[in-house]
Amino acid sequence: MWHNPGLPRYVFAMDSINTLFLLSGSLIALSILASRLSSVVGLPLLLIFLGLGMLAGEEGVLGIQFDDYSLAFLIGHLALAMILLDGGLRTRLKTFRVGFKPALSLATLGVFVTSAVVGLFAMWIFELTLVQGLLVGAIVGSTDAAAVFSMLSGQGVNLNERVGATLEIESGTNDPMAIFLTLMLVELLVGEIGGIGETVLFFFSQFGFGTLIGLGAGWLIAKLLRTLDLAPGLYSLLALALGFCVFGLTSAIGGSGFLAIYLTGLMIGNQPGRHLNFILPVHDGLAWLSQIGLFLVLGLLVTPTEVLDYALPAGLVALVLIFVARPLAVLLAIRPFFRFRWREIGFISWVGLRGAVPIVLAIFPVIGGVENAALYFNVAFAVVLFSLLIQGGTLSMMARWTKVEVPVGVEPNRRGPLGVLPENDFEMFVYKVENESLDDVPIRLLRFPSGALISALFRQHVMLHPKGSTRLKLEDVVCVIGRPGDLPALNRLFDGGAKLKRERAFFGTFTLDGEALMSDVAAAYGLTLSPGEREMSLGAFVALRVGGHPVVGDDVGWHGFEWVVSEMEGNRVTKVGLRLYH
Amino acid sequence: MNLQAILPPERTLFDVPGGSKKRVLEFFSTFIAQNTPSLDSQEVFSRLIGRERLGSTGIGSGVAIPHARDPHCKAPLAGFLKLADAVDFDAVDGEPVDLVFVLLVPEEADDTHLALLGQVAGMMNDAEVRHRLRQSESQRELHEILLEAIQRQNDESA
Repeated sequence: MWHNPGLPRYVFAMDSINTLFLLSGSLIALSILASRLSSVVGLPLLLIFLGLGMLAGEEGVLGIQFDDYSLAFLIGHLALAMILLDGGLRTRLKTFRVGFKPALSLATLGVFVTSAVVGLFAMWIFELTLVQGLLVGAIVGSTDAAAVFSMLSGQGVNLNERVGATLEIESGTNDPMAIFLTLMLVELLVGEIGGIGETVLFFFSQFGFGTLIGLGAGWLIAKLLRTLDLAPGLYSLLALALGFCVFGLTSAIGGSGFLAIYLTGLMIGNQPGRHLNFILPVHDGLAWLSQIGLFLVLGLLVTPTEVLDYALPAGLVALVLIFVARPLAVLLAIRPFFRFRWREIGFISWVGLRGAVPIVLAIFPVIGGVENAALYFNVAFAVVLFSLLIQGGTLSMMARWTKVEVPVGVEPNRRGPLGVLPENDFEMFVYKVENESLDDVPIRLLRFPSGALISALFRQHVMLHPKGSTRLKLEDVVCVIGRPGDLPALNRLFDGGAKLKRERAFFGTFTLDGEALMSDVAAAYGLTLSPGEREMSLGAFVALRVGGHPVVGDDVGWHGFEWVVSEMEGNRVTKVGLRLYH
Repeated sequence: MNLQAILPPERTLFDVPGGSKKRVLEFFSTFIAQNTPSLDSQEVFSRLIGRERLGSTGIGSGVAIPHARDPHCKAPLAGFLKLADAVDFDAVDGEPVDLVFVLLVPEEADDTHLALLGQVAGMMNDAEVRHRLRQSESQRELHEILLEAIQRQNDESA
């Protein structure tokens, strides 16, 4: 399977090794440097990596001949596995509260609908058979949230939890679905699967083994990592190595390795402990390396003029995907089952960004020996380009327009665990005093969380010993020792006036306690309640009015106020803002 | 209903002793009952404190806007207190409070209540206004700044 005509391995003499080092090193370095462009120009990062790959490629400046699909296929698998592992590590189980079911619906039903609509259109425009058309649909069926989140956070956009969690979990779980559909259609085309029964069996073994092994092995690995005492640098390597084992094992017995490695990451990432502090940064880097490497290779692999041949019809496919298939899929997968607002559905529809997965999937037909394989590859490539350009370029604008943003307050400039306790460890938070109302305030007058303390204070590069009577000055740097639970209070304390004002405009002038009884709230503002509502807490009342799973930022208009959910603990609304109409 | 009309100079208080949130509200209740005979200081106090129990009216940046409906209140009335020392008001940003704008409305005046609250909040949101109020040195100056701020607020919303 891995024989390749492009790069004869036996002539890997020193010269070619040196060239390889030089080329890959400079390409990756260039990509990283160019990533600064992304925040300046607002161009999606992935587009830059892809562009660099194409520039280096056969029709670009460097003219590197690379058409080794098998090697690209291998790199694609490696990179996707690492990206999914990192995605799992970063997904907080607590976001499953609001995001899991809608995401699952999008990842299954949604992918089906997207693939079917795009597939039928592709069948018509390229004059393909039904199965061939559907293969085009399946290849472009999955979304890439990593691209979405890196763009949004780069531009300071913070999504509300319902939208954020749904998109994040969707992109982690829909890749296995798209991969499954692609594999199945490829095997149908080359005649390795016969009949419905076998297809169904294939489906169940992919998802069954994927889920079981992913969760089971993930749980074990998480326990192991937590109890092992290793050199700090080894935790991330062990996690990666075991993740690969899970991937290989699952695939070998017929499950979906991609699903399994995502779930493994999820289990490891949600097992708290100090090992996570060593694992996460390394995997962040690995995920970046994977993204960069993958896109560079894909950019190298493609022949731009061939893509151009397909540009017009593939562009139409992309437009159908963006404006018809994705909105329809989101509508069908979400609207009947979940209480999302229309503008949230609108935003999720728009953020069906396609990333690396479709291009990697487009290599499957090439490897599988499907007739006319070049078509799939070039079409997928063009669709991803269009998607990154059209959707990627307008993300933050769209987030503002559909009002799915929630303001973020101040966070520590730096934070790090002290490593003294294995669980619920103390951390050091470093803040800069920028809040004018803290200027000249003695430390003892600060409303400090009781478990936290200021351990050091730096003024003009000199460390002071803070006492209760020490007065803070603007530009002071303050080291606070506390627990993650103290963060909300600390962030509030060091928050500047401008941010407070923005928060007040969003969450309302007054904040009420979610525990307050509705009868008391009604008495204070002259509201009319039905008998059953009098005994409810304000939090429960607002949650009921919002419907479904409330998230921070949800609001309901009632009695001349807008009642805004401004803080939650699990499923409970703990703070409610009162926004007044002016 | 305009804020100017319900905030006469004598209800703009300068250099009020702070102490605690409770003491400040007590001080205002006693003061307003003397100032407006129909009001009962106990009633006003329990209404204001009752509202605080639902969540502090400290809106941040050292400002609090205690407000309540009162059955004995015939027309909306406002009072402003500049405290000598900032007190802990359990405000959203945790900052102690030294500027207190109190609003009392009759029970039936619900829409007016909200409109007035909106005006006060809008006015106190202005950092410049807060700064000038803090710098002011007499009751009269305080009242002038407030009237001017209310006027500006009205012009903007008009």
